[in-house]
Parts: sequence; C-alpha cells; structure tokens
Amino acid sequence: MAEKLLSILSRINRTIAIAVGVLFLTCAGLVLIDICLRRVGASFGGTDEISGYVMAIGTAWGMAFGLSELSHIRIDFLRRSVGLPKWRAVLDLLSIFALSSTVSIVALKCWPVVETTLRNSSTANTPLETPLALVQLPWFAGWVWFAVTAWLTFVAGVLLVLRGEFTKSEQAIGAFPEGETA
Amino acid sequence: MLSFVSVGLLGLLSLSIPVGIVLFLLGFGIDQFFSAFPLTRGLGSMVWSTSENAALIAIPFFVLLGEILVRTGIAARTYSALDRWVSWLPGGLVHANVATATMFSATSGSSVATAATVATVAMPQADRLGYDPKLFSGAIAAGGTLGIMIPPSINLIVYGFLTQTSIPQLFLAGLLPGILLALAFLAVTAIVCLINPKLGGERRTFPFRDMLLGLADLLPIILLFSAIIGSIYKGWATPTEAASVGVAGALAIAALFGGLNTRMIGEALIGTVRVTAMIMLVVIGASFLNFTLSAAGLSQELRGFLEGLGFDPLQTLLVIVAMYIVLGFFIETLSLMVITIPIVVPIVISLGYDPVWFGILMIVLIEMALITPPVGLNLFVVQSARRGGSIAEVMLGAIPYVLAMLAMVAALIALPQVALYLPMAMR
Repeated sequence: MAEKLLSILSRINRTIAIAVGVLFLTCAGLVLIDICLRRVGASFGGTDEISGYVMAIGTAWGMAFGLSELSHIRIDFLRRSVGLPKWRAVLDLLSIFALSSTVSIVALKCWPVVETTLRNSSTANTPLETPLALVQLPWFAGWVWFAVTAWLTFVAGVLLVLRGEFTKSEQAIGAFPEGETA
Repeated sequence: MLSFVSVGLLGLLSLSIPVGIVLFLLGFGIDQFFSAFPLTRGLGSMVWSTSENAALIAIPFFVLLGEILVRTGIAARTYSALDRWVSWLPGGLVHANVATATMFSATSGSSVATAATVATVAMPQADRLGYDPKLFSGAIAAGGTLGIMIPPSINLIVYGFLTQTSIPQLFLAGLLPGILLALAFLAVTAIVCLINPKLGGERRTFPFRDMLLGLADLLPIILLFSAIIGSIYKGWATPTEAASVGVAGALAIAALFGGLNTRMIGEALIGTVRVTAMIMLVVIGASFLNFTLSAAGLSQELRGFLEGLGFDPLQTLLVIVAMYIVLGFFIETLSLMVITIPIVVPIVISLGYDPVWFGILMIVLIEMALITPPVGLNLFVVQSARRGGSIAEVMLGAIPYVLAMLAMVAALIALPQVALYLPMAMR
C-alpha cells in the first residue's frame, strides 16, 4: 500500500516535472527571440511579465517533485550522528510532518490572493492586461498539490516506519547529504 | 527577538527539518510573539510576488545551461586541452583540475555542479597516472567552489534578490576575486608540490602545436562565457535574458559535439526543475522571514545590540566572518546564505559597508563552507566520483586551498577595491 502510493506519486510528479521543464525551455526560447527582435527594433513586449508567471507556476508545481526526489535541503549533521535507524526515522517523520503542515498553511494563505483576483476579475497593470486569475489559479493549484503530495508522503512514511521497514522509509522520506545545491 | 531567531534557527535546523520550512516556521513564530499586527495575512501575496519575478527565472535558465553542458562531453575536451597548457607547473595535472574548474565556473552558476563535472573527467586520470589522491581531489573540490564566484552565479542572483542589490554589479564584482582565487589555487598547488613533490605528479610539456590545437577545444566555453557576460555589459540583455542566450549556446555546443537528443534534454529539464524547486523553497522562505523580521522591528533591536557590544565596525565585521567560518563547518552554501542574510546584511550595511562588496565577501566565506569538514558538499561530490579511498583524504587535500580562501577574505577586507574596482569602473 505505502510502496504503491509512493510509486504513483513519484510517477505523477515526474510527468509534472517534464511539463514544467518544457515550460521553462519554451520561456527561454521566447526571451531569446525577444532579444533578437529588439536588435532589429521590434519586440513582443511583455516577455518579462510572462517570465514572471512561468516562474511562479513552474516553481509551485516543481516543489512536489523536489519533495519526491528528496531534494529539499536538510541539515543532516545531527541526523547522521544518530546511530539507530529507528530514531533517524523519527526525525524524518517529524521533518515531513513539519513540511506538510507548513506547506498547507502556505497554500491556505495563498487562496485569499486568488479569491480577491476572482472577485474583482483583476487584470495585471501592464500592457498585456493579463487576467490574473488565468495565472494565479494554476499557481495556487501547484501549492495545493505540493501540500497533497506532502501529506500522502507523510502517511506512506508512517506506514513504513510502523512496519519497521527503515530502509524503505529512508528512501521515501530520508535525507541525502550529497543532495545538489547551488 | 534576536535570541529567539538564533536559537530557533539552530534548534530547528539541527532537527533536520528542511531549511525552507524552518524559515517559514520562524516567520510564523515572529508573527505570533513579536508583532502587534498579524503578518501571516500577507503570506499569500508574499509568496506570489516572490515567485512571480522575472529576475528569478535566471535561476532555472542557468541551471538548465549547466545541466545541458555536463551532458555534452565538452568537459573532457576542456580538461585535455588545459592539461597541455598548465601541466608544466610543479604539480602537473593538479593544475589542470583547477584550470578546468575555473573555466567551467565561467559558464556555470553552481559550485557543486562544477565540482561534479570536473571530478567525473579528472578522477580516472589520477588513477591512471598514479597521482596521490589527496591534493588531486582537494584541488577539484576547491576549484569547483569558484562556480558561485565567477559569473554567472546563482548564489549572487539570490543575494541580489534578497538584499535588493544590482545583480549585474554583483556579477562584475565577482569576476576579479574569482580569477585571483583561481590564481591563488594554482600558486598554492605549486608551492605545496615544490615542498613535497610526491603530492603532485610528473611535470609535462607539450609541443606548441598541440597547445595551439587544444585552444580549439576551449573556444566553445570561451564563446559561451563571452556571449553571456558580454550581452549583459553591452546592455543588450538583462542577466535573465543573458541566461536564455546561455541556454541556446549550450544547446548549440551539444549539437556540435553530438549528444543532442530528446533523452538528454529530458534529463536536463528534470534536473533543472529539481534544483529550481530546491532553491526556490528556501528563497521564498527567506523572503517571508525577511518580511516578518523587518516588520517586527529587527533593525532597531540590532542597532541596540551592536551599540551594547561597543565594537568598532571592523571588529564587528571580524566577528561576522568568524561566525560564517564556524557555521560553515556544518551548514551548506545556499542555506547558510539565506538564513544569515536577513540578520547579517542589515548590520553590515548599517556599519557603512558596501552591499556589493559584502556579497562577494560572503561568497568567499560560503565557498569555504563547501570544502570544510565535517559537512562540505564539494568534498562529498568529489568523494562520490572516486572509486575508493577515504573521504578524509579529500578533506586533507582541501586544506591548502582553505588557507588560500582565508587569504582572499583578508585581502577583500584590507582592499575592498579587489571586488569594487570593476563595478566602479563600469558604472
């Protein structure tokens, strides 16, 4: 059950990650074309604005993938010095619980932003006059999906730890010291 | 509030709660205990305005550029070309490690990616030519740290964003210190190998014709660097736009040397999303903490605290430097940056120091954090590229380079022009 849940989550998030990656690449292409156009005196106008929306939506949806790849940075100095796998699993559970709760609060607090936009049918104060709902709804949905992924991962982690399968729980909610950072 | 934040920060971090989440939690705590009005009400619009920012899209672009470049095989060509140019120095091939890392830093915004790239191509040579693994691997770990100093640099983008400092100025300021550090690494290697030749390897000279031919392999990277940095300073493009030029250049290099296919691009895109998400969670968390701290009046409290200490600006700065060195033993680059910026940068600016200059000083300090044990990401990265041996060897090998970095810190404090000369001259 726990394994199945985790593998489904990871498959969905991988697909999402590819979609977000393609979104970034397309945006890079758009920016590049705009630079070239500017050299000959033309321009799309508004690539900055579009880049911003791409960043907000891409970031929001990429978060859950980061979680399923264990790439959100944790300082595991103390964790590594804990010898017993059981106690390490407790730290991992605490960690994913803190993440799930915090991300849920963030997602909840993001809703008023979208709500106001919907109520006033706000448009961006720019030449493009983008209807903000169009970009804020997908952004908000990304944070909600991050929270959902986090809680499901937490549940899977609890199940694994209760069964005493610490190797598997380590793979699902552990920490990689060699995780890549900038 | 200052002690609440410091104790909370260290306590929650050591419980291994994700760094980005710790920053949010502290923000909630400040809101709860130190603010007269509810700050979390603004959380949603905080998150929106932080992530909906065109300047930050340079981050996924520069990450993507690096992800593509490491998959092109250009690293191996660069390495063998630089071998012909620098291996006559005492220490032999160890110099090629530093030089290749420097070269890659000029197109990569990340230190770990730089170290990983160089380690993959260099480590097999160490075994083949019978090099002592200590200095050889230490040089890769240290050389790799230049990735965040020599522009483009993802860390400088984050610093610029969180402190409202000009990113082009920061890039320009990082160039000279980056080159000086690279030269210092070469000098340190030569000195160590003159004292104890066993730590290095055979000095080799190549026919001049081969050296010239090698230049052809260096051209793609040089062109790419010039395109990125040139377009920023010619005023044709913002750093974000230059990053998209870089992505196109990396794709062109991939097409030129083979290896451009859908699978490779797919992997590069997935890697980009993973790293971007990781960076953005801590950046958004830090923005929120920043916001709560300044709304709750941290700056007054800091001023009071500093006046109470009775230190002059230089003494305070030295305390800050010492703090970074100690924290750097345990905490990694980006985390160390974002958790300290909200507290340290206001202090430093109120002491009258230049924010661009301090950004560069901070980069040297967090570069040091990358190669100081017990937690030093570049040490781990280089170790994972080795076929065996203990990580203690990599740690030992990195020590001479840590000394070079300390010298750089002293140089930056004594002579701020090292960082500020170029931004001033171009202003």
